[in-house]
Amino acid sequence: MKKKFYHGEGRRILKKNDQSQMDSMERKVLIELLYQLADDDFILAYRGSEWLGLAPHIEEDVAFSSINQDMMGHAAMFYQLLEDLGEGHVDILAHGRSSKDRKNAVLLELVNGPGHYLEKPKFDWAFTVVRHYFYTQFKKIRMESLKNSSYQPLADVAVKVNMEIYYHLLHWKTWFMQLIDANDEARNRMETAVQQVFDEFADVLSYGPNGREIAEAGFIDKEEIITQMWKHQLLTVFESVNLSIPIKIKTKSGKGREGFHTDDLAVALSILSEVYHIDPAANW
Amino acid sequence: MTETVFNQQLTEEDNFNLFMLRIEAGEKIEADDWMPDDYRQTLIKLISMHGISEIMGALPEKEWVPKAPTIKRKLGIMAKVQDEMGHGQLLLRVTEDLMKPLGKSREHIMQDLFSGRLKFHNVFHMEAPTWGDAGLIGWLVDGAAIISQTNMLNASYGPYARALKRICAEEVFHAQHGEAIIMALTEGTEQQKDMVQDAVNRWWEALLMFFGPADASTTGTSKQDTTIKYRIRSKTNEELRQEFFSKYIPRVLSLGLTVPDETMRFDKDQGIWIYQQPDWNKFKEIIRNKGPKSQERLQLRIHSYEESEWVRRALSK
Amino acid sequence: MSSEGFYQEFEVFSKRTDTTPLQYQFSLLAPNHEIAIVMAQENFMRREPVADIWVVKRSDIRKLSRDEKHSLPRLDNKDYRNAKGYGYLRKKWRKYEQDMLDEKEILSWGGTENIEKE
Repeated sequence: MKKKFYHGEGRRILKKNDQSQMDSMERKVLIELLYQLADDDFILAYRGSEWLGLAPHIEEDVAFSSINQDMMGHAAMFYQLLEDLGEGHVDILAHGRSSKDRKNAVLLELVNGPGHYLEKPKFDWAFTVVRHYFYTQFKKIRMESLKNSSYQPLADVAVKVNMEIYYHLLHWKTWFMQLIDANDEARNRMETAVQQVFDEFADVLSYGPNGREIAEAGFIDKEEIITQMWKHQLLTVFESVNLSIPIKIKTKSGKGREGFHTDDLAVALSILSEVYHIDPAANW
Repeated sequence: MTETVFNQQLTEEDNFNLFMLRIEAGEKIEADDWMPDDYRQTLIKLISMHGISEIMGALPEKEWVPKAPTIKRKLGIMAKVQDEMGHGQLLLRVTEDLMKPLGKSREHIMQDLFSGRLKFHNVFHMEAPTWGDAGLIGWLVDGAAIISQTNMLNASYGPYARALKRICAEEVFHAQHGEAIIMALTEGTEQQKDMVQDAVNRWWEALLMFFGPADASTTGTSKQDTTIKYRIRSKTNEELRQEFFSKYIPRVLSLGLTVPDETMRFDKDQGIWIYQQPDWNKFKEIIRNKGPKSQERLQLRIHSYEESEWVRRALSK
Repeated sequence: MSSEGFYQEFEVFSKRTDTTPLQYQFSLLAPNHEIAIVMAQENFMRREPVADIWVVKRSDIRKLSRDEKHSLPRLDNKDYRNAKGYGYLRKKWRKYEQDMLDEKEILSWGGTENIEKE
């Protein structure tokens, strides 16, 4: 498949190797984009890690954990870019920021299902498969675009991240294709999950309030281009399993790029930073 | 190689004698080979318990996966718990092949766990309330596990020995992962040091119980004689416990920690560690799924298995 | 659900590099080939390089039975099949003031590169 990206509406954008080559607006929106990238992977890796030991199959438990580790590794690379821009230490960025400062899409913070991860969790494998599959497909397109980012350090990270997404996509697409075409029970559960994910996916596709500036600076392709390519990728798969993409992709539960999150995120943050907050200055 | 002609003409006794000759000569028994029923049953019991303990052992540590205090620690503990699940996978596969001639599969292993027929290791019934416990499990519980597993690296049953070889290679990383957490804490603030000391105190009795009672007089039964006879393991429970003390007590003390047993000392004349016996009645209760966290962890496992039953049903042929 | 329905046995093989031979890894359970192959690397090769993976359904493997394994041993009387049985030629060539074209010599004709790669 050949992809064509048009950065900054065809204008020739100069490569930037560090922040001295940017104006203050460019720097501001670059940081915004980086928070979106880092927070997205971080929170979904966290949700994935809650499945550890509880996946539907032991072999899958092991495979899924590798994906979670990879994703958290990707988040760490994006947080590192932020640290390099003076935003603070990677672990403070990951553990020390409150819900309103987080820029991840709301879909990715939602619980795996009702119930605490240690007490009778009703984790939903269908939702997990669909959420991860749709997100990974989006992430693949996003990384392809970022490989040409005008911010060279980001382009370099995108090349690395992209390498590991092949497996993630193969893995989730396999589960998606198998369950969507299995028995009626699985089909129903999967269709419900597909609906649930489409109802929140607009937030994933969004670049937030400064989306136009982010694309104009050549950091990534325009939102509409990425969205179109994502839909195009899904469409081929959907046709083969007799599903259709809804005309309206929504955001029901919040606007993550603007810092409007669900309680699910607040609860997750208090768990994932519980030990960190005992003494943020200590060496752990 | 010893002559290995086993066929139907041979009596059970001939087969048995040849089998014993093979294992005494250091040969490996493979899944399809003739083996005494007693050997098969002993292996099934041992390896299914070992395997399911890895799976159940993921749960106390899993509590700390989302909570690990830095990204590096989160990644480390994720990889470690993943390995435990992976070890469970290897060991269950070995068990499943042994059970196959009896018409049993993984489904039966899971059901046996749920019904309480299949026990899991005493150490995984305990509470792990702080990050110090997460470190201590990695350091001392895994340390004890390494000692008991390396004792079986030369097991006469080939598939088990090969699985253990893979497992022990990964345990080296686990031990270091545990040491890294512990040393960061013992070199840290007073609060962090206390965290480790509390964990040592909390886990001490469970660690003494780890290798099981010294002989059958304590709990009524012991498989150690059978497993030694069949060349599955070479050292007794007490020998392993002593080895654990020799390797770990000096390290514990060197980090400024203490063990909660004032009588503990190395007796030079006898060449052994003198220590206070744990309450073996408690041990018996724990392995009957009556430990502090037994039911909770078992319920979590049962519940998650039931929740995902539809996935297995959907993809069943 | 029949007890064997989801839990099918697969044998996993892999190659470490493109030029190394296929090696047996371990077995896993999966409901079908597609799931089996996405499980394989992470279950058995998390910490090592892999160039290729094969999964084979165990029921498709024909192994020797215990009895059939008796068909494997051979007598040690087949020197004529090996260079070992022709070692006396070295002495004969010496008479003609020629070196023997032995295994070491012949395999060196492919160039040293090939030997090093092995």
